[in-house]
Amino acid sequence: MDDRESILGLDNIRLDLPLAGVGSRTLAATIDYLILGVLVLLWVIAWTVSLSLVGSWAFVLLFAGIFLLEYGYFAASEILSGGRTLGKRVLKIRVITAEGGTPSKGALLTRNLVRSLDLVFGIPLMAIDPQSRRLGDRLAGTLVAHERRAEAVPFIGRVPPGWGPRELAVVEAFVARSHGFDATFRTHEMAERILERLRREAPALLEGVDTRDPVEAIRRALQVEMH
Amino acid sequence: MDYARFVRLRLPVWERFAAQLAAPAKTMTHADLEALALGYRQVLHDHALSAARYPGTAAAERLRGLAVEGTRRLVAGRAEGPAGIAVFFSRTFPRAFRRQLGLTGIALALFLLAALWGLAITSLRPGLGITFLGPKAVAGLEEGRMWTDSLVSAVPPALSSSRIATNNLSVALGAWSGGVLAGLVPLYIVLLNGLLLGSILGVTLHYSMAGELLEFIAAHGPLEISLILVSAGAGLGIGRSLVIAGDRPRAAALRDATRDALAVLLGCLPWFVVLAVVEVFVSPSPDLPAPFKVAIGLSLEAIFLTLATVPGRSPDTQP
Repeated sequence: MDDRESILGLDNIRLDLPLAGVGSRTLAATIDYLILGVLVLLWVIAWTVSLSLVGSWAFVLLFAGIFLLEYGYFAASEILSGGRTLGKRVLKIRVITAEGGTPSKGALLTRNLVRSLDLVFGIPLMAIDPQSRRLGDRLAGTLVAHERRAEAVPFIGRVPPGWGPRELAVVEAFVARSHGFDATFRTHEMAERILERLRREAPALLEGVDTRDPVEAIRRALQVEMH
Repeated sequence: MDYARFVRLRLPVWERFAAQLAAPAKTMTHADLEALALGYRQVLHDHALSAARYPGTAAAERLRGLAVEGTRRLVAGRAEGPAGIAVFFSRTFPRAFRRQLGLTGIALALFLLAALWGLAITSLRPGLGITFLGPKAVAGLEEGRMWTDSLVSAVPPALSSSRIATNNLSVALGAWSGGVLAGLVPLYIVLLNGLLLGSILGVTLHYSMAGELLEFIAAHGPLEISLILVSAGAGLGIGRSLVIAGDRPRAAALRDATRDALAVLLGCLPWFVVLAVVEVFVSPSPDLPAPFKVAIGLSLEAIFLTLATVPGRSPDTQP
């Protein structure tokens, strides 16, 4: 499930951005902070080992190091990998601008600047905002959106007369899901219902098609192809 | 156009565009980029057509994904960022501050009223001071010591300043977020703080220690009270939108009020840090002369009010 935010793109064409909600964003942040926790632990161990070398500035060094690690980890990983920290990669989400574009380096630095405040206010802010923005997002003008990798999907190559987008969408979604599935009873039953409708409304399409395997019969009758 | 014909004719264009998107950006020539831009435009128009004529179909979904991904690759972010912060403090915050000046005024009036009341009751019945300050502090006052002497000397300044900052912040946040309860919490916080200040002043007056108290609060008091009142005013704005939503749905009124209130609160946040530093390093210091503390308090207040009221009066030049 995602929130969709409509923006007007080039030539005033409406574009729905698949925004990431508070759940996936918090999960991504949790993964990032686990990684960060390990890094900080390593830093503290290194600091303890070299304690005798640094003298009275030891604590300054410790906290400066922790700050640099926290700020640096998020800012650097978002800048280097196009708005994705490791946690965001796992959750397949990415930072974008409010226009749907790639954010500038300045925006990525800014949105991470207030991260320590967002640890406290971030989740409630994201929960009340229709665009799920935390404080840093508001300051930098950024959003976080889901990424969808384009997979091969079935396209119907022959449309039965009288079928509208709803029927087409249902059959395409059905074929996409049945692809690679075991032929369960429910798959079979669903396919039989689609076939029944085809027999009623477009018997010409079923001519010469073997209907013993109903899923395969639908594919042949409608010339469904994966692209 | 028939759906099947649409897919058959346009699918090569979409697949070419997907391949172009997958190519690494670094190896792109100028011609590649032009081809990508052309493909983007074609895909965007196909997306508009499919979203209107064939919503929910595989073609519409594929095109939506391609259009979103193409937009991300081809639209560069405006160099907002550090500039965004500048715009916030030079325009967004002062404008929101001025819009809710009336509510801040109401908070100030209530605060003064409560302070007067507190001053009156503790002047008439100094015994009540124990309720506000606790027996230990009052015993100290009788011996001519301020309780504030021990307030910050026991712990290292860095630690107590962050504790004070957290405390001030939580008061202001309570005043702000409590606005959702129809403005009752900000009212409570304003009245309570006014009452506390007034009654503590009354108690210290009774023990002839009011000068010391005023000296202690001179450096941070004005700004601290202002910040609490401004946050409370923002909270009252949220509460007002819920109680008097007018002819709009309450959710819409609340959203607009929250936007202003949030801008005001965010604009106040950095000042809480300044305040905590002053409260720990300047206020309790016996070495600093009282006029110096008063000067710091007044200038902090003046800077805050100037930055909140002066900038952002000219209309935006950007679209």
